[in-house]
Amino acid sequence: MKKWLSIFLLVGLVAGVLSACSGNGGGETSGENGESGGEPSGEITVWGWNVAAESMELAVDGFKEQYPDVEVKVEDIGRLDVYEKLTVGLASGGNGLPDVVLVESDRLANYQEQFPDALTNLSEMGYDKHEDKFGEYKLSVTQNSDGDFFAAPWDIGPTGVFYRTDIFEEAGVNPEDIKTWDDYIEAGKTIKEKTGTNMVPVDIAKDDALYRMMLNQQGAYYYDEEGNIDVTSEESKKAFEVIKQLNNEELILNNDGWNGVVSATVNGEVATVPFGVWYTGTIMDQAPDQSGQWGVFQLPAFEEGGNRAANLGGSDLVIPSSSDNKNTAYAFVEYFTTEVDPQMKALEEKGIFPSLNSTYEEDFFNQESEFFSNQKIFKLFADEVSDIPVANYTSDYSRAFDTMSDTQASILLDGKDIETALQDAAEKLKSETDRKISE
Amino acid sequence: MRHNVSPFRKTLLYIFLFIGVIVSVFPFYWMFVGATNPSGEIFKVPPNFLPGDYGWENFKNLNENVGIVRVLGNSLFITLTFTVLSAIVCTAAGYAFAKFQFKGRNAIFFMLLVAIMIPYHVTLIPLFEIFSNVNWLNTFQAVILPQVAYPFAIFLMRQNMQAIPDSLLEAARVDGAGEFHIFFRIVLPVMRPALAAVAIFLFMFQWNNFIWPLVVLQSQDMYTLPVALSSLVGMSRIDYGQVMMGTTLSTLPIMIFFLLLQKQFISGILGGSVKE
Repeated sequence: MKKWLSIFLLVGLVAGVLSACSGNGGGETSGENGESGGEPSGEITVWGWNVAAESMELAVDGFKEQYPDVEVKVEDIGRLDVYEKLTVGLASGGNGLPDVVLVESDRLANYQEQFPDALTNLSEMGYDKHEDKFGEYKLSVTQNSDGDFFAAPWDIGPTGVFYRTDIFEEAGVNPEDIKTWDDYIEAGKTIKEKTGTNMVPVDIAKDDALYRMMLNQQGAYYYDEEGNIDVTSEESKKAFEVIKQLNNEELILNNDGWNGVVSATVNGEVATVPFGVWYTGTIMDQAPDQSGQWGVFQLPAFEEGGNRAANLGGSDLVIPSSSDNKNTAYAFVEYFTTEVDPQMKALEEKGIFPSLNSTYEEDFFNQESEFFSNQKIFKLFADEVSDIPVANYTSDYSRAFDTMSDTQASILLDGKDIETALQDAAEKLKSETDRKISE
Repeated sequence: MRHNVSPFRKTLLYIFLFIGVIVSVFPFYWMFVGATNPSGEIFKVPPNFLPGDYGWENFKNLNENVGIVRVLGNSLFITLTFTVLSAIVCTAAGYAFAKFQFKGRNAIFFMLLVAIMIPYHVTLIPLFEIFSNVNWLNTFQAVILPQVAYPFAIFLMRQNMQAIPDSLLEAARVDGAGEFHIFFRIVLPVMRPALAAVAIFLFMFQWNNFIWPLVVLQSQDMYTLPVALSSLVGMSRIDYGQVMMGTTLSTLPIMIFFLLLQKQFISGILGGSVKE
């Protein structure tokens, strides 16, 4: 009987492994019909999450003014849940998918490469005419290697350093003097000495956001333009040298998860938080009584006069090929991403930053924000957009993300040598992804 | 045993138990505090340990956001239907495996054990395709049916059924009882404690079931509680007051269900009918 048991277990395991591997196969698409031209009409379903879904909801009325015969149903689904459902739907050949899905920019390449035929080619539907309305960074994530749009660019996450004006004042540090990361570390030392406050919150073992911003700022990323593993680059070393130095000077507050970072922010445990523009909303929501105590400056550069622009976050819209109402789906995507009105609603009411260039001329960007010490913070972020370097996220983004968070922990917590740690990380990625290590 | 405990050890024991109680109850209390306060309060230092008066407001926001009343109804309906159906199927199957001789019994049972080991990721996509082909996406039966024959519950019932002496069943047969009569009037009453345990297990499984309902349910008015709560957690802005209110509401039914079935454990022990 024991023999029987082991045979069955073996069969079960093999079957399990096999079916896990074949999961990505079926890219077969249906529903090519029903997209003959004409006025958009009928109902479409849209998936998004949280404030992004709410922004889409806000756009529905304006959209219906242009096309009275349409109905838009927005489903508000958790961010990671959207990916779960999208992956299952795409893997089963487009079953049960909606007409429009929101996807974060750094995850787009993953879907585009794994299911090449499953996303509608927007260029074929006429999106190319909007090409000059977006910055180079946004185009690089939404176009495939042939220069065709497979996603429509929507929001973007220009980065900045959010800082506590009162803490800086108490320590006698002028944020305008912080031009390079060396200045930043010096300022941090002064602040720690005078006020006892840490400089920056980092979720060391689970999130390498600071490292990613520094890579992007220098025009590098996990992978180079050819998709080769690039974590051993000069830029990568420089980034970790800064982070390690911050850690050595005890300026980093190690937080557990997103909640930890938020709680450190609102409790004044840190003097600065480098993040994407979307963090403005978080601060204003979670620390409503700290109005006037916050300000923003751009990421410090690596050398005097160097680039201070980077991106963190942002998302775009795709139309699954399985949609049986592509015409209306496209009309909605076009309206939602290229008209100024829905962009401004999303920004003013939900704090979501548009990537559509023409929006930056709106009055709103010249307004002073009372919460942020009357600084014109949105102008600062808008001016940054055109300087954001291109990043190649590739389909193996999340593997690199996990690996580099581990690497960050081994450097900061176990004191591993940077050079060795990055070399090990590159080797690990090489074995996981079959990609070459960049020379 | 009892008269041996010295006062010192007793005090030590009580201190230990007291700490245990604090450690296990505090998260629930903290959840309750969070549910009755505005979101910003939760991260305050020093923390506010007292329940606030914002509970109704959080509930209203939550209902506006995810339709919590409707969602609770969905969850209760799905979970209770599933628990009843699955308990019947698994008990009957366990009984068959334990007390009937048929060809391939052991082989089938081992396949069942293997099934326990298959991770859900493997079955997710094929299962999704099946339900999509019969047009059952976004329906309650799609959530309830796939797991009705729950391998672990069958396994548990079989192990318990084996304790029933064959002589008892034979005696009933000799007295002319039909198989259904034996199952419902003799086997089930003895199995009450095991049945209660399995029911609680099934209830908790379906109540907390997340990934399958998430994938198969499409519209917000069909969501179950875990799926709806998950949608509250977006990219950068989370209203923790609402989340805490939601989690508070989601723990209540499990507690009530457990308290209701707890009695069965005890009455089942008293209901022994055979001495050997």
